[in-house]
Amino acid sequence: MGTFIVRRLIASVFLLIVVAAITFAIFFLLPRLAGQTTYNLATQYVGRNPTRSAVLQIEQQLGLNKPLYVQYGHFLKGIVAGEHYSAGPNTVYCPPPCFGYSFKSQLPVWPQMASDIPVTLSLAIGASVIWLVSGVSIGVLSALKRGSVFDRAAMGVALAGVSLPVFFTGLILLELFVYKWNLLPAPTFVPFTQNPWKWAENLILPWITLAFLYAALYARLTRAGMLETMNEDYIRTARAKGLPERTVITKHGLRAALTPLVTIFGMDLGLLLGGAIITEFTFGLHGLGLFTIEAIQNQDLPEILGVTLLAAFFIVIANMVVDILYAYIDPRVRP
Amino acid sequence: MVGGESPRQGDGAGGRFARRRARHRSSMELEAHATRERTGEAEPSGMLDIRDLRIHFPTDDGLVKAVDGLSFTLDRGRTLGIVGESGSGKSVTSLGILGLYNTGNAQMSGKIYLDGEDIVAASQARVRELRGNKMAMIFQDPLSSMHPYYTVGDQIAEAYLIHNKVGKKAARAHAVDLLKRVGIPQAASRVDDYPHQFSGGMRQRAMIAMALSCDPELLIADEPTTALDVTVQAQILDLILDLQQEYDSAVIMITHDLGVVAELADDILVMYAGRMAEYGSSEDIFTRPGHPYTWGLLGSMPRLDEVRQERLLSIRGTPPSLINVPAGCPFHPRCDYAARTNGRSENEVPGLRPVGPGHLVACHLSTDEQRRIWAERAKVAS
Amino acid sequence: MRRRNTIGLAAFSGITALVLAACGGSSGSPSPGPSSAGFNAAISSTVNPSTHKGGTITFNLTTWQDSMDPGGTYYASNWNFTRYYATPLMTYPSCQGSCGLHLVPALATAPGTPSSNNTVWTYHIKSGMKFSDGQPITSADVKYAVMRTFAKEVLPGGPVYFQNLLAGNAASYKGPYKDKGKDLTSVTTPNSTTVVFHLNKPFADFNYVAAIPQTAPVPKNKDTGASYQLNPVSSGPYKVQSATLNKTFVLVPNPNWNPAMDPAVHQYASKIILNINPNANDIDNRLIAGDIQMDAAGTGVQSAARAKIVTNPTLKASSDDPVTGFMWFIYQDTQVPPLTNVHCRMAIEYAANKTTLQDAYGGPYQGSIATTAMPPNVIGYKHFDLYNAGSHPGGDTAAAKQQLSLCGKPNGFSIGMAYRSDRPRDTSAAQALQAALAPVGIKVSLHGFPSGTYFTNFAGVPKYMTTHGIGLATGGWGPDWPDAYGWGWALFDGKAIVPAGNTNIGALNDPVVNNLFLKLEAATSASAQATISGQIDMQLMKDAVIVPAVYAKALLYRSSALTNIMVQPYYGMYNYGTLGTK
Repeated sequence: MGTFIVRRLIASVFLLIVVAAITFAIFFLLPRLAGQTTYNLATQYVGRNPTRSAVLQIEQQLGLNKPLYVQYGHFLKGIVAGEHYSAGPNTVYCPPPCFGYSFKSQLPVWPQMASDIPVTLSLAIGASVIWLVSGVSIGVLSALKRGSVFDRAAMGVALAGVSLPVFFTGLILLELFVYKWNLLPAPTFVPFTQNPWKWAENLILPWITLAFLYAALYARLTRAGMLETMNEDYIRTARAKGLPERTVITKHGLRAALTPLVTIFGMDLGLLLGGAIITEFTFGLHGLGLFTIEAIQNQDLPEILGVTLLAAFFIVIANMVVDILYAYIDPRVRP
Repeated sequence: MVGGESPRQGDGAGGRFARRRARHRSSMELEAHATRERTGEAEPSGMLDIRDLRIHFPTDDGLVKAVDGLSFTLDRGRTLGIVGESGSGKSVTSLGILGLYNTGNAQMSGKIYLDGEDIVAASQARVRELRGNKMAMIFQDPLSSMHPYYTVGDQIAEAYLIHNKVGKKAARAHAVDLLKRVGIPQAASRVDDYPHQFSGGMRQRAMIAMALSCDPELLIADEPTTALDVTVQAQILDLILDLQQEYDSAVIMITHDLGVVAELADDILVMYAGRMAEYGSSEDIFTRPGHPYTWGLLGSMPRLDEVRQERLLSIRGTPPSLINVPAGCPFHPRCDYAARTNGRSENEVPGLRPVGPGHLVACHLSTDEQRRIWAERAKVAS
Repeated sequence: MRRRNTIGLAAFSGITALVLAACGGSSGSPSPGPSSAGFNAAISSTVNPSTHKGGTITFNLTTWQDSMDPGGTYYASNWNFTRYYATPLMTYPSCQGSCGLHLVPALATAPGTPSSNNTVWTYHIKSGMKFSDGQPITSADVKYAVMRTFAKEVLPGGPVYFQNLLAGNAASYKGPYKDKGKDLTSVTTPNSTTVVFHLNKPFADFNYVAAIPQTAPVPKNKDTGASYQLNPVSSGPYKVQSATLNKTFVLVPNPNWNPAMDPAVHQYASKIILNINPNANDIDNRLIAGDIQMDAAGTGVQSAARAKIVTNPTLKASSDDPVTGFMWFIYQDTQVPPLTNVHCRMAIEYAANKTTLQDAYGGPYQGSIATTAMPPNVIGYKHFDLYNAGSHPGGDTAAAKQQLSLCGKPNGFSIGMAYRSDRPRDTSAAQALQAALAPVGIKVSLHGFPSGTYFTNFAGVPKYMTTHGIGLATGGWGPDWPDAYGWGWALFDGKAIVPAGNTNIGALNDPVVNNLFLKLEAATSASAQATISGQIDMQLMKDAVIVPAVYAKALLYRSSALTNIMVQPYYGMYNYGTLGTK
C-alpha cells in the first residue's frame, strides 16, 4: 500500500505539471490563433485609458513579452523555489510554493486563494455530509420499501432535486427564508473558528441547496445499488445463517452497495472543492468558485493557473483517496 | 394432496455420535400438541416432518404454484435426495424450510415440523433463531454466495457469534477448527483469506464449514457440486457424507444429477411441477422406478455399468409453467404412456400410491403396468 | 405503474407549489421607515439630515474595481468612496444642482493659482494636518503621490493626465520604483505647504486634474506599491482597519482626522464595510431587505429590483432616479466605408429609433432620450436636436432616405456593428438599431465581443474595425470632469486615437473639433468655456460621429438606516462622504 501511494503521488505531480502546461497553452495560444498579440492582452490590465507606454510597461512587468516556455519555466520555478517580485519600492520574496502574482492587482495569488479555501471547504464538506447522510438513508429506505408510497414519493422528490438547477433552488430558499420570513440572515461567511454557530447559520441555506441536488442523485444511486445488492446470493446466505435483518441490510447489503458510491463521492467532493461556482454566486459567498470567475473575467493568468492547479490537485487527491478506499473496502481489488 | 399417506420412516438410528438434545417446549408448541390430540392428527416424527407444504407466489401474470403439496419426513443421520428439473420446486422447498419466504409475498401453507416444532406457524424471530443454528444450508455457487468483502473466517464466525454467547476470539478459533475439519490445509492462515482467494473446491469446503458452524441438526445442500469440476465433486460429496456421520445430522441433498444422488441418498424424492412424483429408497428408485418421469430421468442418464446405447433418451417437451400447471397429471403432456390411462391423466390428479413398502408413486398407471413397462425399457437399454 | 407516477408527481408538484408561492408572494420587505422623504427627494435636498454618530454602514460591490489605491483607480464610484481615506487638493462639494459641479478646495487652502498662460499652477495646502499614522502631511507627500502615478507597471489603472500634462522630465520619468532616487522636475515643493505644477502646455482645467484622487498625499516611507491599496495611509476621516483583496475592505474612524481638512466629508459612522458580492441581484435584495445600506457601484438596481420598486409606492418613495453624468451612444467609425461619407452617417442618425434605444438601455428610469453629444451635467450643455428625435422619436425614415441618396447609396448599404455581448443592454441596443435601420435598407450585421477585451482588442482597435467592415460600435462614457474637455477630449479629439484601447472609436480627426479643444484648453473665463463647449457639441453632432441614445439615469434605492443622503451631481450617485447612520 505504501508504494502504491508513493507511485500515485509521483504520477500526480506529473499530471499537475501537464495541467499547468495545458492551461498556459490555452491561455496564450488560443488567442494567438485568433490574432491577439500580447500587447493586446496587456491592455487588459491597464485600466480604462491605456497609453502605449503604460501597456508596454505592463507587458514587461508581467513578463508577457517573453517566450512561452520561458514564462512556463518561470512559473514552475516559482512553485519549486519561490519567486522574488518587485511591485513597488521593495522587492518581496514569495516562498515556495509560489503561485505567482495576479496580473490585475500584482498581489500574490496564494493568499487570495488561501482566504477563499475555507469558504469552499466549509461549503463542500458541510453539504457533502448532508447529502451523503440523507441521500444514502433515503436510498436505502426506498430500496427496502420498494414500490411503497415512501419509495415513490422519495423518488419523485429526487427527480425534482436532480432537475432543478442550483440557482433556482437557491433563489427560492433565499426568497423564503431570508427575505420573506426573515428566519435566517443574508448569507455572509463567518469563519468556523470565529463563531461556529453563526458559521453554520450562514451556510445552512447553501448547504441545503447544494445537498438537494446531490442527495437526489445519491438516493437514486443508493436505491439502485441496494436493489441490486439485495438480490445477490450472499444476502440469501446471510439470511440463511439467521442474521438479524438489520445486520443483513447494513453489514452485508449496504457495504456492497456503497462501493460505487465511494467512487462517485470522491469525484464529486474533489470537483466541489475546486469551487462550487453557481452556489457561491447565488449566495454571495466568496470561495474558489467566485475566485475562478473573477480570474477568468479579468484574464488573469496567474490566478487562473493557481485555481486550476489547486482544483486539479484536489481532484487528484480525491481520486487517490477513492482508489485507496476502494481497495480497502473491496479486497478483490487489492494489488 | 388427494388421498395417500405421507411416507414415513422408521426410527433412524443415530450414527457414531448420536446426540439427543433435550429441548424446552414453548407454550405455542404445547398448544399445538393439544390441538393435534383433539383433531387426531399424528405427532410429528423425525427431525423434519413436512405435511402438505404449499408455497405459492402471486405475480402480475398469475399465481405461481412453486410447491404444491409436499409431504415427507426425515430422520437424523439419514440423507434425502430431492431430484427434479429446473423449476420443479426443489430450491423453493429448501428456502421455504429455512423460512426465507416469510417476509415476502409468498403464501405458505401446510406444516413443517423441525424436531417437533412447527416453523410455519412460529414467529419470525423464532425461525431466525433456528436458521443457521439448528438448520443450515449449503448453496450452489460458493463464489456468489459468500460476501466478497469479508474474510472466510469472519463469515464462518458470524453465524457462530449470532447464535452463541461467545467472544470473537473463541469464534475465530472455532472457525479455524471448522476449516481444518473440512479439509482446508493451513487453516490458521487461510481463515483470514477472502473468498476470491480460494479455488473452487476449497471455497465450497469453506461454505460447508460456514453451514456447520453451529452444529446444525438439519443440513440442506442445494446443488453443492454443480459448480465444481467432476474430480472435486467426489471429494465434496465424501466430505458431506463424512460430516453427516460425525454430526448425525439429517441431510437433504437437492440436485438434478442422479449420479450424485446415487452416491449419497438413503431416500429419494422426485419432484415435478412443484409436486411429488415419486418417493422411495435409493434402491427402489434405481432398480424399480414407477413414475414415467423417473424413467425418463434414468433413461437420459449415461451409465457406465451398462452397454453404451445408441442415443440418450431425452424426455420430450419442456417443463411446464408453474402458473398454468397442466390439468390432471402435470406430466401427462410429456408422458409416452398417458394414452394408457383412458383419459384419467388429463382430468384426474393422481394421488401418491404405495407401490411397495415405503415406495410411493403418483401415477394413474397400475403397479403392474409400471413394472412391465420398466422391464421393457430396461431390456431395450441393455 | 399509474400509482407510481401519481405519487412521484405529487411530490414534484409539491415543490412546484412551494416555488410558485414564493414567487407570487409580496416583496415582503421591511418597511422603509416611518417617514420616507419621497421619490427623487435626494436629488434636490438632503434626506435625513443628522449629525448622529455611530453605527455601521455596509456597502456591497459586484467586483473589486481596478484598485482601491487612490493613485490607480478610474471609477466614479471609487473616486467617491476614496474620499473616506484620501483627500485630494480639490474636490466636489457636497451640494446639489450646478453647485455640485463647481470645485472647492479640500487639502488645498484655495483653488490653484495659475500663471498668466495657465502653464504653472501653484497650490498651498492646509498646515498642521496629519496622516492616520500621525505623520504630518506636507507638500512633499502630494508630490510623491503624483510621482507614483507614473509607475504604470504597478498602478496601471488611474488616469494619465499627469503624464500628458507635466513638463520637465515627465516624458521620460518612469516612476519612483524604476527610477529610484530620481526627481520629477515638473513638480516642485518650495516649502512644506506649497506644491507647484509645471505644465507642458496651457491648461485652464487643471483644477479638475487636482480634484482627481491621485493628488491625495502619500507618505513615501509607507508606500508599498501594489499592496498599498490594502493598507493605505489615510488622509481622510477614516482609515483602513483591514482589507482582503477581492473580498472586503473595512474602515474605522481616523483618530488624526481634522475636520477642517475637508468640510465636504464627515466622520459619523463608527465603521464602514465594503463587501464584494458578484451577484448583483442579491445585492439589490439585501439592500431592500435592509441587510446592507448601499450599493457602492452607484449605477442603480438591476431590472428585477427596478420592476419591484417602480410598482410599489412604498419602495418608490425611498428611491431616486438621478442623471448619472454617463451617456450611452453608438459610435460611427468615420474610417469605415461608406460611413466615411457624413451623409451616410446622418442617414443613420435620422433612421435611429430613439424609443427602442431607450428601451434597450433600460427604459425611462434608466435614461432619457439624448440628442446631443454632451450630457446635461456638463458645464455649457445646451439642448438641441439636429436629427428630429423630438418630432420623430421612432426615426425619420424620409429624412434618412434623403441622406442616403446624398451619400450615393439610395438603396442602403451593409455595415457591421460591434457590441459587448456580455452586456444585455448593449445587446438590446445593437438589436434595436439593427431593426431601426433595416426599413431604409441599411443592413446591419452584429458582432458581439466580451467587454473585457472590447476596447483592447476589437472596437478599440481601429485596424480591426476597418478590416472587418465594422462601422458602428456601442459605447458609453462618463466625463473625467464635468466640462467639455473632460467629457469629450478622449472621445473626439484626433490626438486621442491610439492603435489599441482606443476611445475615439469614431476615429474622428476633424480639424474644427481639434482646434476647438485647443481653444478650450486655453480658455480662462467660465463663460468662454461654456460657449466653446456648446460649439464643440454642435460640431460633433454635425459630424454625426455618434448616435446619442440616452443620458443615463440610475434608479437608486435609499436605505432608511442612513442619514445625510444626497445625490452628488458630478458623481451621479449618492454622496458617500456625508453618510451617517440613524
